[in-house]
Amino acid sequence: MGSRLEQKSNLVRKRIEGHTFEDEGGDEYEGSKFGGFTDYFRRKKIKLQNLDAQVRAQSSDKPQIFKGVVCHINGYTQPSLNDLHTLIVQHGGGFLQYLDGKTMCTHIIASNLTPKKREEFKRYRMVKPAWIVDSVNGGKLLPWDAYRVIDEGVGQKVLGFDNGQVVTQASRKTQGYREQTSTSWYTSQLKGREADTPATVKKLPSFTQPLTPEEEIDDDEYPVPEITSSIERALDQDDYGSQYLSPELPHQPCGVLDAATSLETPPKTSPPPVPSEDEAAAKGRATSPVEAAMPAVESAAAFRPREGSQEPDYSMAIVRNSEKLRDISPSKLADMTAEEHNALLLSDPRIRKSTVVHPDFLEQYYRESRLHHLSTWKADLKSQLQALAAEKSSSQKTKLKKLPGQRRYIMHVDFDSFFAAVSLKKYPQYVEKPAVVAHGGGSGSEIASANYPARDKGISNGMWMKRAQDLCPELKILPYDFPAYEEASRKFYDAIMAAGGIVQSVSIDEALVDISAICFAESGTDGVKRYEGAVHREQRKADMLAQAVRDEVLEKTGCAVSVGIGGNILLAKIALRRAKPAGQYQIKPEEVFDFIGQLEVEKLPGVAWSIGGKLEEIGVKLVKDIREMSKERLINTLGPKTGEKLWDYARGIDRVEVGEQVIRKSVSAEVNWGVRFENQEQVDEFMHGLCGELHKRLLKERVKGKQLTMKVMRRAANAPRDPPKHLGHGKCDTYNKSLQLGVATNDPAVITKEVIAVMKGFNISPGELRGIGVQMQKLEPLKAGGEGAELGSQKRLQFKRPTTPPVRNDTATVGRATEDSIQDDVTPEKQRIADINKPSVAIRPINVTTPTKRPLNMLGTQFVLPTQVDTSVLAELPADIRAKLAKHIKPNVGLPPVPAFKTSEQRHKLAPKDFPAIALPNQSQLDPSILEALPEDVRAEILGFYKSPGNRKRGEQALLPQSPRKVRTLPATKHPVKRKRGGGLFAGRARSNLHSVDNSTLTQSNFVARPLAPKHLQEDGGANTTDTEDAEIEELDPDFLAALPEDLRKEVLDQQRQARLQRTGGIDVSLHQRAKARKKKGTDEEGPLDRLLQLPPRPLKPSFTMRKLTELPDLRTAVKAWYQEFSDEGPYEEDIEALGKYLRDVVVEERDVAKAVVVVKWLVWVAEEGQEVEALGEHARATWDQGVAFVVEAVQSAVAKRGLGRVDLG
Amino acid sequence: MASEATTLRNIVAAFTDFLTVAIHTILYERAIYPQTSFLSARKYNFAVRQNRHPKVCGWINDAVSAVEMELLKGTVERVAIVIFTKDNKPAERFMLDVSRFPTATLADLDTPLERKSANGDNISILPKVDMEEQFRATLSRLANCGSTLRPLPEGSTFTVAIELKGVGQAPIAHPQPWMPVEPTKQDDIDGRVQKRAVPVRAVAAGEMMLECWIEEAAVSD
Repeated sequence: MGSRLEQKSNLVRKRIEGHTFEDEGGDEYEGSKFGGFTDYFRRKKIKLQNLDAQVRAQSSDKPQIFKGVVCHINGYTQPSLNDLHTLIVQHGGGFLQYLDGKTMCTHIIASNLTPKKREEFKRYRMVKPAWIVDSVNGGKLLPWDAYRVIDEGVGQKVLGFDNGQVVTQASRKTQGYREQTSTSWYTSQLKGREADTPATVKKLPSFTQPLTPEEEIDDDEYPVPEITSSIERALDQDDYGSQYLSPELPHQPCGVLDAATSLETPPKTSPPPVPSEDEAAAKGRATSPVEAAMPAVESAAAFRPREGSQEPDYSMAIVRNSEKLRDISPSKLADMTAEEHNALLLSDPRIRKSTVVHPDFLEQYYRESRLHHLSTWKADLKSQLQALAAEKSSSQKTKLKKLPGQRRYIMHVDFDSFFAAVSLKKYPQYVEKPAVVAHGGGSGSEIASANYPARDKGISNGMWMKRAQDLCPELKILPYDFPAYEEASRKFYDAIMAAGGIVQSVSIDEALVDISAICFAESGTDGVKRYEGAVHREQRKADMLAQAVRDEVLEKTGCAVSVGIGGNILLAKIALRRAKPAGQYQIKPEEVFDFIGQLEVEKLPGVAWSIGGKLEEIGVKLVKDIREMSKERLINTLGPKTGEKLWDYARGIDRVEVGEQVIRKSVSAEVNWGVRFENQEQVDEFMHGLCGELHKRLLKERVKGKQLTMKVMRRAANAPRDPPKHLGHGKCDTYNKSLQLGVATNDPAVITKEVIAVMKGFNISPGELRGIGVQMQKLEPLKAGGEGAELGSQKRLQFKRPTTPPVRNDTATVGRATEDSIQDDVTPEKQRIADINKPSVAIRPINVTTPTKRPLNMLGTQFVLPTQVDTSVLAELPADIRAKLAKHIKPNVGLPPVPAFKTSEQRHKLAPKDFPAIALPNQSQLDPSILEALPEDVRAEILGFYKSPGNRKRGEQALLPQSPRKVRTLPATKHPVKRKRGGGLFAGRARSNLHSVDNSTLTQSNFVARPLAPKHLQEDGGANTTDTEDAEIEELDPDFLAALPEDLRKEVLDQQRQARLQRTGGIDVSLHQRAKARKKKGTDEEGPLDRLLQLPPRPLKPSFTMRKLTELPDLRTAVKAWYQEFSDEGPYEEDIEALGKYLRDVVVEERDVAKAVVVVKWLVWVAEEGQEVEALGEHARATWDQGVAFVVEAVQSAVAKRGLGRVDLG
Repeated sequence: MASEATTLRNIVAAFTDFLTVAIHTILYERAIYPQTSFLSARKYNFAVRQNRHPKVCGWINDAVSAVEMELLKGTVERVAIVIFTKDNKPAERFMLDVSRFPTATLADLDTPLERKSANGDNISILPKVDMEEQFRATLSRLANCGSTLRPLPEGSTFTVAIELKGVGQAPIAHPQPWMPVEPTKQDDIDGRVQKRAVPVRAVAAGEMMLECWIEEAAVSD
């Protein structure tokens, strides 16, 4: 708000402050004149101010906290307008009843604003009434912005102060009933402690205020039932109701009691039992008598009606019982940040156990989630079946070319109330009684399957237990028995597969079978021509098959199945309806029309109330009505796909083929139960686990994906922290983000990395997370074949795996040691070509046996040699073999990332005679953008090659940080610049500059200086014995060394030297050569620490005066002091000379013209300044001028002496 | 230990880095090339301009590496960036005096340097931070040189030159990156009077001792 806008409110404030009221004698108390409305209104306002002034005068004992504040109240507020008015005025504020302009007041108080006003007042200080109340209670003016009515929007970051630090945070939406009530006047009135516990009122609804311990304690002292919202209240009331219903239910079996208890025992695959209500209540009573004495506001039964049955709910009662949570009042909970809330929630170990924070959560989650169980089971089954069907029907399929107009026979086989039937096998006594399978007898559990007696009572699958029990009080509840289901399902499918035909599994208990082929075989026709007898035979065969299947399944599983037979899947499904229970039905082609026509539309598969409702709107009730419709009408109503499908369905047409496998489009892992995080680390950790799970599933499906979709559920802004379902996700905003991975992968590390990045992108506070899902799409099948199956589309090198080298010559075998040293080579072709060019290594004994190869491979071997070699293996080899190998191997090691470099160096090094012209690309040819993209050090290194002209020696390579072992494991094509030493990598360019000073062969490694190297480099092409050690010597990165502590460093260096000596000892290197080398470079052997180039001591910098001043500021000070000292008498000549000499020295010796110039300029300025300020004597002025001139001249001459032009001085 | 790894090559590399940046800066400041062809970049934590024309960049890099080669030989006295007018008269010379670089034989290019102070302590050979600060200051001065220099005539061009120490052998070999300059009257006393020197800054960070100034030819007519 600009100051201009403040102006008016300031005026108003001053007027109000200056307002006094003596008696009712003022003119405002005169009667209004005709037409004097403005006058009237002015007077009215004055009178109101009079009232205020009086109030203010009477309450002088109150702290004047609102001094400078002018308020206006807009709309309904919870301390009423009158109360607020009094409060403001009593505490020194100004109050305006009538707002002539928005800038008149400093603050506008409102609880809520209409959208229009919200927009209109966006830039004003819109404050909640709680500000006034809290300020009054706090005894000081609180910052108003914590009480904004209009926030900057959910996404807007705001600055806040937290412990004296400025913090940014996302502004949280603080709208809603909670905000209104928790800080409201009446709530605190209701709490009855407004006066003596200011703490609760004082508490800011701010987004920065953390929960303080005192407040917690405060609340503990007042275990008053606090009802914070109508919703919660309603829920609580609901609990009272359900309490009467639920506790008894599990204990009212109509059968024997011990049977009931045995029913209560869940199968081992299903979650542990819910503690019974009684236990929970008892526990509650035991732990907190106060709590128990109260109406059981938060008893174990809370929110029961909302309990879903899909997820583990074994600890549902626990959370409600948790003292930790109960101890804190709901209003307190509301003020906590999400993380704090979660932390509090998680502080109960029992709850913690069942949330994502628990390390075994994922495993547990997937083990216990029923939904997951069923779906994975089905998926398993499907894939098993697929495999089976593929095996079985591959032959059939080929001959079963569908002819146009061919008759088809499709069986739809389905268990009758599968779960119930299977479960009932264990309780045969209930077979005739209504029984359902559900998870526990709680009112909130969902009925998974009901047997036919129960269905007769109106109970259907998916019904809530409460309602079912209303319908049928003597309902039997059976537990899940997953192993039995699995068993039954397997037998069921066995039977179906045995029947032949093309099988398509619909779910664990139903399947579609295309038996056309069998039927045709029976009738001996091709299914197209219509012979009465043939069709009849086919139909009979179909019926027989169905009967056979039913009998077999009944025999194997003891459960009845029904079979519907029709000409297509639709008809088969419809026929099944008729067949149930435990029967079979075949829709004959001639009766299709009538049969379907009779059906209600909602009986058609894929049509439910939603489509049914739409159809009803256009007057369709029965399927035959659809036939009346034009296709266009249907399409208009239902959309192109559904419309057309229904149009077809109504005519008994279904184009879907049995056995058409829906290709899996995505694989995902998602968790949205128990997701409660305290901090980001936990989130990352969890993501890791989730991606691992996804990886497992991808592997299981034998796919990898290219597109990763991440789904994140975040607690909706107005949703309560604790959703109705324990640890459920409640109401959520869902965010999705997809990203393309480029290359299909199933690597958990890659996925995790991406997912965490996406997660960061969402920027959701960990505490607000309620669900995370990762989905892989654009799947590609994994290529079959051993370990390679897990690899992506890109080939990867497998290093360090000893494998037999690809043998080029079949007659040869390789020695054991060589085998070990040779590793997988993915690009043999390329290598082969390279080999021909290279003087490749001979493994002698073998070479002898393979004379045939010689013409092609002059020096070489018949083997494709590895690009990377394990040094340890190498070290084991005899010296001569090692020498050859190393010679061969080394060149492949150092491939810098810039493609242009790729080949030149190795060729060059290896066969300099063959490639004399190959050298570095010109530096100008380097793409600067590529260079820029490189990491700093790599770039420096590359540029380093350019900076070093031809006289670069191999020895210097030692300077480059490198670690050969690490390098070796990298694929050659992606080699970083770091290389093994012994490169001379880019040395070709100016080879002419090489000085052949030394002629010894390289025998020792040296970290830094190898002055005797150049010769060696030239010999390189021919003699290759000495290179071996180079390949082996591990260089120590000087940076790395530098980072080590002194003693450690010494140790490392010693070790290194030792190793080096050892190696040289093992290699056939003539000792005298070494000796020679040592003689030549005296200190060479001593290692880098001792080899230093001692620079001659620098000549001292010329300095000024006795104090040896050299720095500019000092000089300035000295010059100024000097001038001031001698301003009135003029400088001494020797001083002038000293300065002149010094400056001359500065120019000539120190070579800092700039410094000399600055000093002279300073002197000139000081002198001029001095002369302006004080009138100097003629003599003094003259001498100073002379002195300055002398110094200037001294500098100029010195500059001239150095061959520079005149400088501009002063 | 880190300082022990400082070799003459490191020093020269540091200098050539600076030289590259300086050349770009000069080209920008003196408007040798259209200023739009420069991109803003950051070096020594200082906003510098870099010409993005690949040929210009290439030329500079070539020139700098040629300079570097000579520097390693230790024969260079000064490096000059000379700006010529259209009629090939030198208008300005940006001089870098590198005569005080340490020298080493070719064999010792990669030998760590060491200098001991009077009381035997090791003096840092190449104090990175200090050096960068001073380079930054120098660049900053260079970037402001436009204020003290006369505007250049249209169509000026530039080259990089080195002045050798008396003892040094001229780099005449094949390939020949350097063109020997015929000694002219310019170097006579008369010539000297005709030019004006604008000191830029000296750098004295460990062994990185150089001085930078600008010589501006006096108005010829």
